Amino acid sequence: MAEFNVNVRESGHIKILELQGYLDAHTAPDLEAAFTKLVDNNQFKVVVNFNDLNYISSAGLGVFMAYVETMRDNMGDIKFANMKDSVFNIFDLLGFPSLYEFFNDENEAVKKFDVIDGTVKAE
Amino acid sequence: MKSFIDQTINFYVNASKKLENIIFFGVILFIFKILFTIRPSSVFITINEFLVFITLGAITIYLVGVVKVRIVNPIPIIINMGIFNAIIFFFSSVSTKFGEDSVLSGSQKGLFKDIVIVFVVYMIIFSTSYIFATLKELFSLRQKKDNSSIFNTMVVFMVVTSFANTVYKWDSSLSYIRDAFWVVTIILIFINSLKVAWIAFLQKKQKLYLLFLSVILFTIFIFNSIFSFDSFLAEELVKFSPALSFFVQIVMLYGAIYFGVIFFTALFHLPTAEVFDRKAEELSSMMDLSNLMTQVFDFKELAESVTTTTNKVCNSDSAWLLTYENNQLNLSAVTNISIVEAEKISEILLRENKGKLNEVKTLHHEDFRIQIQNDTKIVKYKSIAFAPLKVQNKTNGFLFAAKKDNYSFDDDDKKAISSYADYAAVALENAKLIKESLEKERMEKELDVAREVQYKLLPHSTPKFDNLETAATFIPAFEVGGDYYDFFNINENLLGFVVADVSGKGISAAFIMAEIKGIFQSLAKILQNPREIIIKANETLKHSLDKKTFITAIYGTIELNTGKVSLVRAGHTPVIYCNHNKIDLLTPKGIGLGLDFGEKFINNLKELEFYLKNDDILVLYSDGISESKNSKFEDFGIERLTEVIRENCDKPIDEIANKIMKEISLFSQDYKQHDDITLVIFKWNFRNK
Repeated sequence: MAEFNVNVRESGHIKILELQGYLDAHTAPDLEAAFTKLVDNNQFKVVVNFNDLNYISSAGLGVFMAYVETMRDNMGDIKFANMKDSVFNIFDLLGFPSLYEFFNDENEAVKKFDVIDGTVKAE
Repeated sequence: MKSFIDQTINFYVNASKKLENIIFFGVILFIFKILFTIRPSSVFITINEFLVFITLGAITIYLVGVVKVRIVNPIPIIINMGIFNAIIFFFSSVSTKFGEDSVLSGSQKGLFKDIVIVFVVYMIIFSTSYIFATLKELFSLRQKKDNSSIFNTMVVFMVVTSFANTVYKWDSSLSYIRDAFWVVTIILIFINSLKVAWIAFLQKKQKLYLLFLSVILFTIFIFNSIFSFDSFLAEELVKFSPALSFFVQIVMLYGAIYFGVIFFTALFHLPTAEVFDRKAEELSSMMDLSNLMTQVFDFKELAESVTTTTNKVCNSDSAWLLTYENNQLNLSAVTNISIVEAEKISEILLRENKGKLNEVKTLHHEDFRIQIQNDTKIVKYKSIAFAPLKVQNKTNGFLFAAKKDNYSFDDDDKKAISSYADYAAVALENAKLIKESLEKERMEKELDVAREVQYKLLPHSTPKFDNLETAATFIPAFEVGGDYYDFFNINENLLGFVVADVSGKGISAAFIMAEIKGIFQSLAKILQNPREIIIKANETLKHSLDKKTFITAIYGTIELNTGKVSLVRAGHTPVIYCNHNKIDLLTPKGIGLGLDFGEKFINNLKELEFYLKNDDILVLYSDGISESKNSKFEDFGIERLTEVIRENCDKPIDEIANKIMKEISLFSQDYKQHDDITLVIFKWNFRNK
């Protein structure tokens, strides 16, 4: 019934995870596997595109919590983009917007990374 | 006389193997014989013959019972039979010598002679009975059909022929009667002698032995039936009872024919004996395994039995078994080979086959170079066979058998290994499934424990106040969520309340729930400000929550004299506020517990304060309600919830709670509840006293 898919794309040196379907306790390990792979490859700048994600459970949220620290400790981050209102409401109630950056469009999130990178380079 | 008849009837009714019968008839016969030595009257002869045959019958029936229990292993019984046969032979040949020149010779008719004769005849009767009983049991050994009728017919004819012999002795012109019965009896004996199927089930050694025995027995039987009948004993036997003497002769002939048949049957069975032996061994190993399957559920034990029996089935020297566990091939059992050797050899063999094997495979003259630490050892095997353990097209492991001796595995061995592997695969899979189901049962018990823990941590009743009504409903999900609610009577005028939801399920969620109950209970005693309590709770949880786990909570207080509510929301679902059909969702800012342990958590946590007016309702709930699903996978949602509350807000709060639960169960009747459901309702009703 509940199907879930992770697709990994690249936009420059930033990885984009496209989520699709239902993210719950049963499908969360798939997303975890994708994140583990990114960390193993030293890719810490991640934008998650929620465009095709219909549902997220607390187990799904836990995956981001588990990896965000590692990303941030390595000059990276997990940014959220293209979220449906129903999904955003769940994040919002929990107070995620105070802790994570949310963008309406994937490109904005990518740009945000670039800007920071730019300042780093300028220094 | 009456007791004699009774006894006779009793005997034939019971047909039991009672020794008393034998003794009783034996003694009667003895007395009869001593009292009336020779009376050529037909009445006496008839009584005599009947007494003899009743005794013979009693002994035979008794001995049939004795032989029956031991006939499973026929060889010793046949040897016993040979011994009794030899006794008859001995007596008949010795008697001639004694009869000619001893005090027992014909003319002297003393009491002593009579007694001796009776005893010798008893010996003959007993021996004949034993032989006959054995022949009867051999006849029915391993017979698939009940052929007793043909045997019984033969017995009847044997007895009738014997009696006909008595008649013949009376009047020799009636010999044709005896001869006619005699011919029929011989034919029946031939037919019965062909029932020798049991020979096929003997092992090769036993068959050889039987061949040897049959020659000896055949010879003795022939001697007893033909030559010994000119002996002195034979003469005395005829005097004693003509029918008995003829019966003995018939039994001897039967024995001779039977063992003649056995000789040829055993001879023809010899060449195939070994094959038959092996098939029987395979079959019994398979049966052993199927017994194990039903008795042994321990995987390890079963695996060990599989390798031991493999050696038996395939005549191999060593056997070992590899099985998949979590997609990893592990050595499960070894017999007659070291673990290291077995591991290395299977590694080499499976690498050659790229780990894929669809059917049994054999290799011959293999030398394996095995490196153990720094030593290289060469292990030689004449022949190695290995077969996949397949269940429903899935390979669960591999069975190996190896031979060191001269003969390689032949096609039959290959087949045996292959079919044995199939069988073992099913047995092992079975054991695994049983283990899994036990594991599942254990898990379910654990869930029961978690559910019980959860129930015990929740309040048993809701507090009652003059100005404030409270109601609470909790329905656990099958998998035990981490919902928690509680009330704290901080002081006379202040009620504390908490509703929380631990992310995750099962035992771990129940544990965290127990922890947060402890935290809130103690903090409620020390602090009064809800915001401070939540901040402290978050700090306390820092060390016990793993990265993935968070808790949403609402903590608040209500002043019971003023109706002042203070509450904070840490990521939890909104508080529904209802004031005369007007609904408000109270969502003060706040991050879930465990999402952040620093400044961000504190800075984002806002406290909400307001005063309740009469008939105001506050509803706190867990997301188990808003996320209740219907068959279309739609959420019950907050709108449906607020609508139910709006429609029922002027009703007593127990009724409101019931209405909400009813709506939820109606909505989600086709979908399993996947999360705990918690509902806490307050209603303010100020009464000025």
